[in-house]
Amino acid sequence: MMAVRGSVLAVLLLSARPPVRLSAQDSVRISEAQAVLAPLVESYGVSGAEGPVREAVKRLLPAWAVPSTDTAGNLVVRVGQGGPVVVFIAHLDEIGFRVTGIRDDGALELETRGGFFPSLFEAKPALAHTDQGDIAGVFMPRDSGFTRRTPPPLRVDIGTSSRAATAARGVRPGTTVTMPKQYVRLTGTRATGRSFDDRVGSAAQLIALRRLDRAALKHQVVFIWSVREEIGLEGAEAAAASLGTTPRRVYAIDTFVSADSPLELPSFAVAPIGRGAVARALDNSSVTPPAYVDSLVQVARARGVALQVGTTNGGNDGSVFTPYGVVDVPIGWPLRYSHSPAEVIDLKDVVSLADMIRAVAETW
Amino acid sequence: MLSISTLQQRTGGLADGRTAKAGLVACVFLSALPTVRLSAQGEVDRLALRFASMTAVTGLEQPMVDSLRALFPGSTRDQAGNVTLTLGQGSPKRLFTCPLDEVGYVVGNILPDGFLLLRRVGGGGGGRGGRTASPLFDQQLEGHRVTVFGARSAVPGVVAVKSTHLTRGRVATEASAPDPVFTVDNAYVDVGASSVAEVQGLGIAVLAPVSLAKRPQLYGERLLAAPAVGRRAACAALAVAVQAKPKVKGTVVVAFTVQSLYASNAGLASVKALLGPFDDIKTAALPARYADTAVETVALADADRLVREIVQWMEGR
Repeated sequence: MMAVRGSVLAVLLLSARPPVRLSAQDSVRISEAQAVLAPLVESYGVSGAEGPVREAVKRLLPAWAVPSTDTAGNLVVRVGQGGPVVVFIAHLDEIGFRVTGIRDDGALELETRGGFFPSLFEAKPALAHTDQGDIAGVFMPRDSGFTRRTPPPLRVDIGTSSRAATAARGVRPGTTVTMPKQYVRLTGTRATGRSFDDRVGSAAQLIALRRLDRAALKHQVVFIWSVREEIGLEGAEAAAASLGTTPRRVYAIDTFVSADSPLELPSFAVAPIGRGAVARALDNSSVTPPAYVDSLVQVARARGVALQVGTTNGGNDGSVFTPYGVVDVPIGWPLRYSHSPAEVIDLKDVVSLADMIRAVAETW
Repeated sequence: MLSISTLQQRTGGLADGRTAKAGLVACVFLSALPTVRLSAQGEVDRLALRFASMTAVTGLEQPMVDSLRALFPGSTRDQAGNVTLTLGQGSPKRLFTCPLDEVGYVVGNILPDGFLLLRRVGGGGGGRGGRTASPLFDQQLEGHRVTVFGARSAVPGVVAVKSTHLTRGRVATEASAPDPVFTVDNAYVDVGASSVAEVQGLGIAVLAPVSLAKRPQLYGERLLAAPAVGRRAACAALAVAVQAKPKVKGTVVVAFTVQSLYASNAGLASVKALLGPFDDIKTAALPARYADTAVETVALADADRLVREIVQWMEGR
């Protein structure tokens, strides 16, 4: 989910009572969610360099799906026939860095891609993603200014001692840089990793597609895995311009940044993890018409899917469709510790998110 | 100087009331000795990586002690927890040590909602021989994965961090704004549990050791980055030197010591009290880049050199 600079919004948290039985309690469903999500989380794709993630999504598509990639880099799968068209969109990219220069001593100078706390990367292992493969290194620790949390601009040491030696490893300005990541299961149905935002949304769309009853579709449904969301919804803008006024609704499938943490104020965004998907009724980029929120809740109840309703911060891909008269109905999943190397989710929420996507596609 | 420091000459340690405060005397060693085979290089890399992956919070080093005991079947574990083995016989009687502990954490409290709070062990300085950790030592935990060593197994967890999105508009971004470093008092460990009972069900109790998840990173030309890797690679070099079966002059006691960062280096003092006096004492050490950080870095080529130097010293050459 794109981090949007803006003032704190008013509290709005409506409760959609979860059904008695959560479909997510089926261990087969949890296993399926993990099997789809883990390889996506362990693929690297800083904004503008989403290729490995896009290929991972392609590999996980059902056999009948015919994907295409548009000129922006978005991956698109169309299902069903006729109007009005409905769009689901989740983003492929993740936050990270891009090399801006190579110093005389071989170290890499960086710029950020997306919003995050740079202190979380200081003095940690690094990976430079080159055309020749990933090059290991370290984010160099500061050598002064120890009284502030925020470090000076970060640099990466890949173990070379000259500009020429670094260039010989295939690193050049424009190369993206992240840190190594791993999908790790916590206790119960919880898991941690980096870039759950928005690999969970991407995984949920895949699971929904796999389980979709295509015969039940009343119109065409377009599934998009977008690029460059974290740096300004750029892929979605291209998709929205391409589709124009054709879609009736767009469902942005993206993170609901949750205040379910001892470090957060409980004034809003209080959607606990493990209690289902979340209708992102209000964020920094969109307000969902209340009737659509109510309708979403009704669909969830009818299908026995756990759904929460709330407001959080950040922007979503669906917001750039609204200038074309398309209603944006973002649906998220609660996430702790957004844009950090230690994001935490509950796999039950992945299942309920996939079930919501399927339910909306088949019944709305 | 690359590696070995002379701590004391002919000291009896606690036995004769003297402590190991003798000045460090530089030792010059010849490099590229032919007695150590080239195959040792691969073993140094393997053991350095293995040791760097392990956790040995000072005073709570048992798992690493057990691993060393398994590596050296003839070794013994003394009352303090040190792993020692004796090579050769007769005089002179010398000691070669390597401290294996690290600054780390233990669970200090378990909250009703299943989050754990931490207490740091070591790194606080003070008058008991402890070393002061970097002001940013605790900050390395924030927003990163940790391992909680429960009674039954190692349990993965993370240290909570504020969500970037929810901070927008709430935190001033001016350079002059308060920007305090993260301290251990802010470290809420999330293992995915929602209650005390769930935490206890994982085998986690107060005093369970906690460390950053260890994922050593090899980069460049045999550079190895990991927390406390300087110590671990030096211990690997000592282990490989022992495995090389040097023709020891006199008696050499090899000691992998505990609690070097707490309680006046109690582990080394214990070895000297129990097995001393020694005619000479040396400690394995390697130069490290980015010391005391999660990416402390050593050159494994330096560890190769250290192996050769240790063998030479043991053989009295």
